[in-house]
Amino acid sequence: MPTPYPPDRHLLRDLRLSFEQGDERTRRAWLPVVPELCTSDRAMRAGALATLVDVIGGGLAAAVAHPGWIATADLTLHLVSAATQGSVEARARVAHAGRTTVVIEVELHDDADANIGLATMSFAVLPRRDDNPDITAAPASGVSTMALATSGLRASLLDELELRVIDAGRGVLEAPVGEWSLNSLGAMQGGAVATVTDAAAETAARAATGEDLVVTDLQLTYLALARVGPIRTRVDVLGAAPDAVTARVELVDTGAGSRVTSIGRVVATSSLRGVR
Amino acid sequence: MTEPIDTNGDRGYSGPEAGRDVSRYMGVELREVEGASDAAPRVVGHAAAAAYLENPGHGVRAGALLTMLDNVGGLCGGLAALPEGWVVSTNLSARTVGPAPRGPMRIDARVLRQGRASVVTAVEIHDEGANGALVVDGVLTSAILVPENGPPRWSRPLVLARAEPLPAPVPMIPDWLAVQTINATTLAMPLAGALRNPWGILHGGAVACLIDLAAEHVAGGVTTDVVLHFLAPNRIGPVRATARTVGTRADGTVLRVEVRDEGADRVTALAVVTSSHRR
Repeated sequence: MPTPYPPDRHLLRDLRLSFEQGDERTRRAWLPVVPELCTSDRAMRAGALATLVDVIGGGLAAAVAHPGWIATADLTLHLVSAATQGSVEARARVAHAGRTTVVIEVELHDDADANIGLATMSFAVLPRRDDNPDITAAPASGVSTMALATSGLRASLLDELELRVIDAGRGVLEAPVGEWSLNSLGAMQGGAVATVTDAAAETAARAATGEDLVVTDLQLTYLALARVGPIRTRVDVLGAAPDAVTARVELVDTGAGSRVTSIGRVVATSSLRGVR
Repeated sequence: MTEPIDTNGDRGYSGPEAGRDVSRYMGVELREVEGASDAAPRVVGHAAAAAYLENPGHGVRAGALLTMLDNVGGLCGGLAALPEGWVVSTNLSARTVGPAPRGPMRIDARVLRQGRASVVTAVEIHDEGANGALVVDGVLTSAILVPENGPPRWSRPLVLARAEPLPAPVPMIPDWLAVQTINATTLAMPLAGALRNPWGILHGGAVACLIDLAAEHVAGGVTTDVVLHFLAPNRIGPVRATARTVGTRADGTVLRVEVRDEGADRVTALAVVTSSHRR
């Protein structure tokens, strides 16, 4: 009998996300701000927010693509303010649903309903395969969650992903492809990929400037599933000023012939705390 | 080489020489790199940093740089799609780096991934007038489709020489597009025949330029970062771009820009733009 997805101890449960179905083209989700998801400025890290975007965007895209299935092509996130308390609310809507592509737009809001960021995702629509998850079950009315009573992060998000810094100056980090962060296809979940990208860029940006910069923008292109691991990052700092760094981040699957699984352009700036 | 597959799969491709007015205006010449494989072609483009492409800060407009990215990256993706099909751009993302280019610029495109339905190309623009410094780092994703009259036939390795220069005085980009201000957040342009691509729809570079101008209209800065999703073709016009500020931070203002084909009454593109005051 196949193991149900996600397992009891899993990223998607431990983030304690909650969801609300809107009409057929909208959805809302909430992610509690907890210290384990924050960077050194005590604000939610971009990778955690990208995970929220990935989950709500992927779910909505899968629903509108049904009976077809989807493959995530890219995810972008631009933050304009910091999330420091309460929950972050994601409001997703279908920007485009065609025969071959789906585009989702996600607005992020803080507890005071201020817009703290904007994200987009695009997906390729694929023919359904037997092993694709069945999403035909009627969505729960009201607010639902995948969290169990015992769910919750036991360490920082980066530690939960077992990220290790190999070479800070070059942004070389490594993480296994573990069950905790797998997607339904048995590869590293897209939000986890974003978090690894975030961490690698942040590490390299701080090494380049000596400042506690935080990632504010992610432009991720998914090229292949990260199935084997360990996943290793490499960062090229493309431009560096004291308060802003632009970097290109590649993730390679070292267990799959060092195949490049994703590339990202990342901007890290001084903290967005207090920015309105 | 622009606009999504979803609404174009039943349309023909007019041929390689059709719809080249935008390339001519941008002054782009393209050359396929010899020795690259058919499955992973590489294309190099060159363009001058012409004065008529500049923004008020005297740097080459991001819209022009994105047009070059779309031109060269799209051709590279199209060559990878042959012989089965050709491509239309579905989305691009790009970030400018460093000071404004002095030119000439070199545009390098290579295939990152090719699937049955799409091609992803990495595109870099370098300033050969500044020791090859990186100016733009971007990615273009294109959908593969089969034109009803078949994909274009090219002599390989492909060379598209720079067209005859436009007669002086060459209009600045806002005048070239005939952009009009509608209100404090919205610009509009007619869909002129010279701005159509070989598919007969508004060239994605023109869309990118309109988005760049709309962001500048609202934020007053210089576009440094663009994520652009082509959602539907612009066929009729006029085409409007409306920019809304998402927020402002130390390195600039982040805006959401929506493009509509007013004649078709539909949204045709969605962009997220960062507009910097420092570049």
